Amino acid sequence: MATGGGQQARPTRPSSFSRVSSSSFSPASSSSTSTSLPPGVRIGANGAAFVSSGIPDLDRILGGGFLVRSVVMVMEDADAPHHLLLLRNFMSQGIVHGQSVLFAGPTKEPRSFLGTLPSPVVQKEGLKIKHDVSDVQDKEKGLRIAWQYKKYFGELTAVDSHNRDKKQEYSSDFDLRKPLERQLLNSQNIECISTQDAFDLSKLQNHCLTFVSKLSLKDGINSNAGRIAIQSLCAPQCGYFEKDWDMLSFIRSLRATVQSSNAVAVITFPASVLSNSISKRWQHLADTLLSVRAIPDEDKDLAKLLTGYQDMLGFLHVHKVAQFNSQVPVILDASTYSLKLQKRKSLVLERLNQAPVEGSSGVSYATSGSCSSSKGSLLDF
Amino acid sequence: MAEGLIVRSLRDGSLPGEHAPALCLEDSLPSPLASHSHAVFRHLLTSLLSTGTGTAVVLVAFHRSPSFYLSLLSPTFHNSIRLLDCYSDPLAWKPNHHPPPPSHSPQNITLLTNLNHLPHFLSSILHLAKDLGAQGHERVTVAIDSVTHMLRHAPLPSVLQLLTNLRCHEKISSLFWLIHTDLHEPKVISSFEYISTMIASLQPIVQLPDYANANISASITSLEENYSKAKFNLRLKRRNGRVKLLCEELLIEQGSVKFSSVPSVSSVVAQNLIPKVQFNIQLSDKERMDRANVVLPFEHQGNGQNIEIYDGRRSLSESQNDPSSIKIGGLSEQKRSNNNKSEKGEIHYIRDSDDEQPDSDEDPDDDLDI
Repeated sequence: MATGGGQQARPTRPSSFSRVSSSSFSPASSSSTSTSLPPGVRIGANGAAFVSSGIPDLDRILGGGFLVRSVVMVMEDADAPHHLLLLRNFMSQGIVHGQSVLFAGPTKEPRSFLGTLPSPVVQKEGLKIKHDVSDVQDKEKGLRIAWQYKKYFGELTAVDSHNRDKKQEYSSDFDLRKPLERQLLNSQNIECISTQDAFDLSKLQNHCLTFVSKLSLKDGINSNAGRIAIQSLCAPQCGYFEKDWDMLSFIRSLRATVQSSNAVAVITFPASVLSNSISKRWQHLADTLLSVRAIPDEDKDLAKLLTGYQDMLGFLHVHKVAQFNSQVPVILDASTYSLKLQKRKSLVLERLNQAPVEGSSGVSYATSGSCSSSKGSLLDF
Repeated sequence: MAEGLIVRSLRDGSLPGEHAPALCLEDSLPSPLASHSHAVFRHLLTSLLSTGTGTAVVLVAFHRSPSFYLSLLSPTFHNSIRLLDCYSDPLAWKPNHHPPPPSHSPQNITLLTNLNHLPHFLSSILHLAKDLGAQGHERVTVAIDSVTHMLRHAPLPSVLQLLTNLRCHEKISSLFWLIHTDLHEPKVISSFEYISTMIASLQPIVQLPDYANANISASITSLEENYSKAKFNLRLKRRNGRVKLLCEELLIEQGSVKFSSVPSVSSVVAQNLIPKVQFNIQLSDKERMDRANVVLPFEHQGNGQNIEIYDGRRSLSESQNDPSSIKIGGLSEQKRSNNNKSEKGEIHYIRDSDDEQPDSDEDPDDDLDI
């Protein structure tokens, strides 16, 4: 439950199965230790540190963001470039917070990818939000709602104004149409590496090691969080593509490197170009596993089945969510979300909803209902 | 329509900042006479060349001799095509170089023998492309007869690097290749699909019968159809990140290829892609405001006004003031206007008996105004 800044944090109930509402994780002793946390890092449930993924919806779904010291893997779809959206937001968030970023991509000029990073949306309604939240807090004092029903109130009864303030800093909305300012991109702590011509991964491994060691060279407590973003690690055009076991041992060493420092690694890989068993091994090495899927264009069946089909870019499926300091598994309400662009500029994730059934074709509800149950898709939630 | 889409996309090339469009044409054994895909390949070649004066093709011939291709095309197009001959002597077995070509053989064939060395290969293709560019053709398409043959000589990552470099190069506007899916592992095929923007494959119209089961005789005769028709599946990766799936019928008549659309194909993609979805019962802000504005036929609207019921005998307020007095019949006309009535209709509610307190037949808590 959301608690004020100065109070002792009540332990979140271990049986809270859903992590949907952000009110269910209390920033433990937020005000006292907030100054000692590096920028962009937040303490969440179970004392774990999170960094924002750059997409506020994704942070909410994953229960706070990407866990520091974890490896996040995104399974690409060969047909669509949506994984780049996730990578871009992730890297932009790091740059905006002043964190060190290491980027590796399978192109000759990975630096050119930095030119596509979005810049944050300028918050004009900051004052308005504070006013609304204090209203809500007053109402909440008068009406005590049992904790298990709080999730139905959505984000309205969420954090108090103090937390909301910090939340704005923690995770920004990015405008995908506006590129990030050049002076931010020219800073010292952004490195880019090309993986295309490499015949093995030792060079990349060394780069990651030096990157991570640079992070801890700074002041011990305040060492900055670092972000490692690797695009299409097993892209077929890379020289090391046939060396499956080398790639796996690279990931294992990256995990070890990241676990002993304040870094988060996001790796995207096209799972379809790997053999099944190797692909499974990759998936098991991830702490948090997401996948993006492309959707067919002008598909009448999908248009009838889902609302907002026209605006959808693709699907995001959450396979695994990282856990720290807890034995309780994370069970999400829904694991498949649709990627949409809100007002053509910022990325939002929405739950899938069935389209309203037309009265004239009353048959469609029954058939679509039976279709989805009979096919027994693997993505049931 | 599929053919039109392909030809248009290959002809138009790429937008600045994008890689060139690439078509991966897949060939497989079940579609009989593997030459079907080759027929499509040839068809694409001829349609590209015949669409305009601007397009030129660099053809890398592994599978057939270059003269075969030249004989396919009418002489008017011989200027717009350059052939890289990888068919005659791929392994450099002939110790001497070819004698200089006789005068009647066209000058647009270049012999390549060192296929192991892919950078040399790449530079030969680019050299030919520059040649064509110098002649005034703005758009150069590279066609590779069979990537399967290339994979015999060079490892997969280098072949893919070559194709990616071709896609990035500014002189090349599009490229397409043929690959035999049965001769490679699935991950090889999916790697080629990964770097291409269009994937076309042929499937037989009539599936091969399952010899283990009965009923062979009926289906064997219909197998004849496979020799003239095939199903053409096309998967297009669009710029907006979506995939366009098309399925058409291919007719091969007397060496020429015709496409016709099949209307009855439905995609079963939806069921595999999404989980069971539920209706969205949350209200958007606008919907919430609309709901708040609806006037409800209750006694209290929750906005502080105390509305009286049309009692028929007496009103609430009057009964409070004067509990003992009884008013018979009509009350003043004003009392009749109450919220039980909408503007258009009227609800007349006559209580059954005098003894009943107002609202006794309803939940007394109804009027609670929280």
